[in-house]
Amino acid sequence: MPRFTVDLIRNHAMKRLWTRLSRKQILFYILGLLCLCLAITFTSHDAFLYKKPLAEVIKIKTVKTKQIDANHSKDALFSQKITAKMKNGKYKGQLIHLTNQYSQSGAYDQKYGEGNTLFVSIESHGHHKLGGTITGAKRDKPIVIIVGLFLFVLLAIGKRQGLYSIISLFINIVLLLVALNLFLDFQQSSLLLVGMGAVVLFTVISLLLVSGRQEKTYVAIIATLISTFVALLIAYAALKLTDSNGLHFESMQFVLIPPQEVFMAQILIGSLGAVMDLAITLTSSVYELYEKSETLSRKALMRSGREIGGDVMGAMTNILFFAYISGTIPIILLYLKNGYPLIDTFSLNLSLELVRALAGSIGIVLTIPITLYLSMLFIFRKEKRT
Amino acid sequence: MNIIMLLAAILFVLMSSIGGKKGITSFLALFLNFGVIFFNIILMKDLKSIITITLIACLLISLINLFYINRLNHKTLSTFISVVITLAILISFIFIIEHQAMIQGFGEEEEDEISGFSLYVGIDFGKVAICTIIMGTIGAIIDISLSIASSMNELFVHSPLMSKKSLFQSGVKIGKDILGTTTNTLYFAFIGGYLTLIIWFKKLSYSFGDIINSKVFSSEVISILSGGIGVAIIIPITAWITTFILFRNKSESHSDLQS
Repeated sequence: MPRFTVDLIRNHAMKRLWTRLSRKQILFYILGLLCLCLAITFTSHDAFLYKKPLAEVIKIKTVKTKQIDANHSKDALFSQKITAKMKNGKYKGQLIHLTNQYSQSGAYDQKYGEGNTLFVSIESHGHHKLGGTITGAKRDKPIVIIVGLFLFVLLAIGKRQGLYSIISLFINIVLLLVALNLFLDFQQSSLLLVGMGAVVLFTVISLLLVSGRQEKTYVAIIATLISTFVALLIAYAALKLTDSNGLHFESMQFVLIPPQEVFMAQILIGSLGAVMDLAITLTSSVYELYEKSETLSRKALMRSGREIGGDVMGAMTNILFFAYISGTIPIILLYLKNGYPLIDTFSLNLSLELVRALAGSIGIVLTIPITLYLSMLFIFRKEKRT
Repeated sequence: MNIIMLLAAILFVLMSSIGGKKGITSFLALFLNFGVIFFNIILMKDLKSIITITLIACLLISLINLFYINRLNHKTLSTFISVVITLAILISFIFIIEHQAMIQGFGEEEEDEISGFSLYVGIDFGKVAICTIIMGTIGAIIDISLSIASSMNELFVHSPLMSKKSLFQSGVKIGKDILGTTTNTLYFAFIGGYLTLIIWFKKLSYSFGDIINSKVFSSEVISILSGGIGVAIIIPITAWITTFILFRNKSESHSDLQS
């Protein structure tokens, strides 16, 4: 470890930790960790909540069954003989015998270990011996761990802002679920329209939470809405103009409704976060600048705003690109490993993500002039009046 | 005309007219980043140590976004170090969670897409899942770190008499102020992508237990929340590193003056 890191840790961390932590904070950390531990222990004993039969693996025998060597890819198949103990239902406490097949790569199968809890379906019940198949793994424990850690880290580091971030995520998810419920209940309604309504609510709630009831918040809200809808319009026009050429709707996942509509809704909601982020950053800086030096001319203020916007624009578009594209890595690897040509694989699996990222980026860039223009309008309108 | 080309052209015109030279640089950086991901995937296909490759790719991406767009200076240097440290923490944490949650590969909801493929392809999909999560958050991590470092630098230039402690605290405060909006960017990007999944769960009337324990849902939750955690932990890390670098520099320039 380089010396400066050691110094850094010694000087800052240790001294700070003991002098700055108040009793209240220590209480918060202890309570938080305690709740986390309690929640995790609970998930180990919540089998009674499930209607589907659950079993905990107590003994495993694994044998290698086959070595695969095809298409330049080596893989091995294994077979597991599992003895597990039923955790709920009328066979609770009895042993069940299961078999499991898995491969080294584990693309669509799973290696189990002792202590795992599995969903099973019971198929035969002989004398004290149950037989059945595995239908899935119980994943609520890791989910609780990560949710708990997320809450803890955000609260510990972000304090009040962390809490707002959590509330905002929570409200947005609930809103989205309500909106989708509405959409599914009224079959005639269009997902895009429901999405638009949701977007207006998302924006108002999130921005009010982030920066409170101030003039700049209202400016940011209007700017966000205009920018996202203009971006959507551009994406729609481009879709119509090119007749969706180059877009592979067939690669869309989990489609139960017309993909074109889902796609537009995805563009709308996906870019909203970034556009809100930029709009509030810009209005905050412009208002801050204006308050610091009221003599600043409209032109100079506009120029500073553009400077700031230009600085963050690249980073914001990056966030979208990475968030979208990363999700396609597993399926692309599967295609390539199966001998699909490179170009076909990429254009088939990335087209939707790329278009979404590009449309979102257009929204981000458009946000800069729209927000700045609106801020000027509000700031200088006020000045004329006084 | 291809829609990707058309949208890319529109984006280029907008970026260059609004951001000027910096806009053009940012647009080119997007291409470079895409190139890095492209080669990363190709290497993942043939090499065994895919996590190492992805980490190298992430470092390359940081280099592009920091030193190509913003050039080498105190801000970008401290951002780079912070990103490296955060990645190390995040990856070890994701490693444990991924193993626990068994979220690698494809869920049963995705069966249609992967039917017809040979699934025994010799890539450890557990590691692929880790790489996917890391790749998804790298953009946000770099963004928030750079914002903090450059604001702290600005602050330090304007009031060089600031104490170490107050500079560090200002750094954390700046970070907290942008935490909410950066996490929002991530949340919406992910939620937008999984609209269809939510509809799927609703239409096929999954129970709450089914949803929580399904592979697709778990991996989505873990991706979003890991991103949130990464964005949060990089705040104090960046504030530390930047404070340290700025002060070391100050004392160095002082001793230069004295000698």
